[in-house]
Amino acid sequence: MSLRLFRQTLYWQRTRLLVVGLVAFAWGALVPTFYTTFQDLFAGLVEVGFPENLLNFGSGSLFTLGGAMTIGVQHPLAIGFVGIFAVGAAAGAVAGEREAGTLEVLLARPVSRRRLYVSVGIAIMVAIGITLALLLAGQVLSINLLGVAGEIDQWQVPMVWVNGMLLWGAFAAFSLAASVSFDRRGPAIGLSLAYLGINYFFEILGTFLPDLDWTQEYSLFHHFNPGEIVTGNLDPFDLALLGVAIVLPVVWALVVFPRRDLAAPA
Amino acid sequence: MVARDTPHPGLSTEPVIRTDRLTKHYGGGLHRPGHGSGTIRAMNEVSLEVRRGEIFGFLGPNGAGKTTMIRTLLGYLHATSGSATVLGLDVVTDSVALRRRVGYLPGGMATYGSLSGSASLDYYADLQQREPVRRGELAERLQMPESDLRRRVRDYSRGMRQKLGVIQALQHDPELAILDEPTEGLDPLMQLAFYEILEDIRAEGRTIFMSSHYLSEVERICNRVAIIRAGHLMALQHVDELLARRKRRVTLRWRGGTPDLSDVPGIADVVVFRDRITATLSGDVAPFVRAVASPSLVDLLIEPARLEEVFYEFYAGEDAETPGGAA
Repeated sequence: MSLRLFRQTLYWQRTRLLVVGLVAFAWGALVPTFYTTFQDLFAGLVEVGFPENLLNFGSGSLFTLGGAMTIGVQHPLAIGFVGIFAVGAAAGAVAGEREAGTLEVLLARPVSRRRLYVSVGIAIMVAIGITLALLLAGQVLSINLLGVAGEIDQWQVPMVWVNGMLLWGAFAAFSLAASVSFDRRGPAIGLSLAYLGINYFFEILGTFLPDLDWTQEYSLFHHFNPGEIVTGNLDPFDLALLGVAIVLPVVWALVVFPRRDLAAPA
Repeated sequence: MVARDTPHPGLSTEPVIRTDRLTKHYGGGLHRPGHGSGTIRAMNEVSLEVRRGEIFGFLGPNGAGKTTMIRTLLGYLHATSGSATVLGLDVVTDSVALRRRVGYLPGGMATYGSLSGSASLDYYADLQQREPVRRGELAERLQMPESDLRRRVRDYSRGMRQKLGVIQALQHDPELAILDEPTEGLDPLMQLAFYEILEDIRAEGRTIFMSSHYLSEVERICNRVAIIRAGHLMALQHVDELLARRKRRVTLRWRGGTPDLSDVPGIADVVVFRDRITATLSGDVAPFVRAVASPSLVDLLIEPARLEEVFYEFYAGEDAETPGGAA
């Protein structure tokens, strides 16, 4: 890894990281408040016949604190916070430099393409890790302030972070693979967004259409469920599957990027 | 000032760049009627050597294959066939190691607009892992004061960006500088300063490989020149040798009558118009001078052969067979 490239990549993201990190923290703190404030209301709605599945979201639910934590990380807002780095920054990292013409000058230095890829990838994972940590920190702070910490095993929260890093690592790895495969930012971001969108669609579809809940198994989001982890039900298969989802695009990128012809930018 | 007239004493025959039948084709497979095979032959079996301590000019119009050659040497492109070494290192297997010792100025260089000039140079120097020992001197000679380097690059004019590009390519005192259209965007004064910088670097035993489509520039500063056309190497010679083969144009004014030039070796294309006689002269100039040394001679002009004429000769039949376009 090139420490200088790593530092510079994080430097480019510094303002975004500060703003998104603070907003993610605030969002994380807000979600347990919904749970404590509205759980009785939701329970009442179900008693009068309101479809329970409509009060769930993805693998989360507003009837338990763990379920609320899951919603906190699966809500479109949370997807947006982390996706800014896992998709936006990752897909633009190499393709953006290529499009702007700055990759030329970088690769004139004694930096191999693999080293560049690894340095940028680790920097993006750090940005994702900070955002995710702040989101979870907001949740933990709020849970303790609201006095509902006894409902979950807080010591499992670091494992939630690890699981989250694997999920978003899979999306970042895919986006970076797209980034090293295209000469322009547009196709790389488009393909990465499509990958994220399809996964999200499969996860959410089963929520609203219970007959199609089998589609959730094909979504990477389904394999990140904080609610189950904080209640001691971590499934190692989830971690393994997400690990594979990281390894495949990483191998692709490490094989394809050094072999690509980088013609002069238009 | 003219580099080729004052060769560096340490000029050796040790090749800094050596290519052996280096070939780069793009695409292929797709066949469209009337469009050839679909393969773009950007570079075809180019073999050349660039020696240590010389300024080597790589000439050709846009699309001739100059940039393809440079990008293959630096590992951006992978050769279809053939091989190349730079500073004795293989361009494929030792690409990273050779880039540590090379400075590169890409054509139309882009850099980060949000960084200041000095921050950009620091970034590149850090990645180069070599001290930017020449930065101060280069900035001074190219008139890039600290106040300019503190400004963001997005506020730079085209010429200032080019100067920044030259500094980043040379600031770490590379053994070999590969410069793609280096004077593009520089004003005449800065071009002059740039030529002097190149000459000084060469005098220290460094090697410069530069592509250009400015013939006067190449003629002025390069020791040797290669002319490339449609990916094919058309000529590779010392500039002086290349020019010596060419015909000089002579013009003389003669008082009363016409001098007899029929016995002068190398004289041709004689045209007489009133008191003015024009002709072309190849080879030794002395017999001609002896023949016209007379009280009847009013004026004499012997124009040196220009690289431009050589270049145009190689490109004369361009519309005929052109093996392929190039990047």
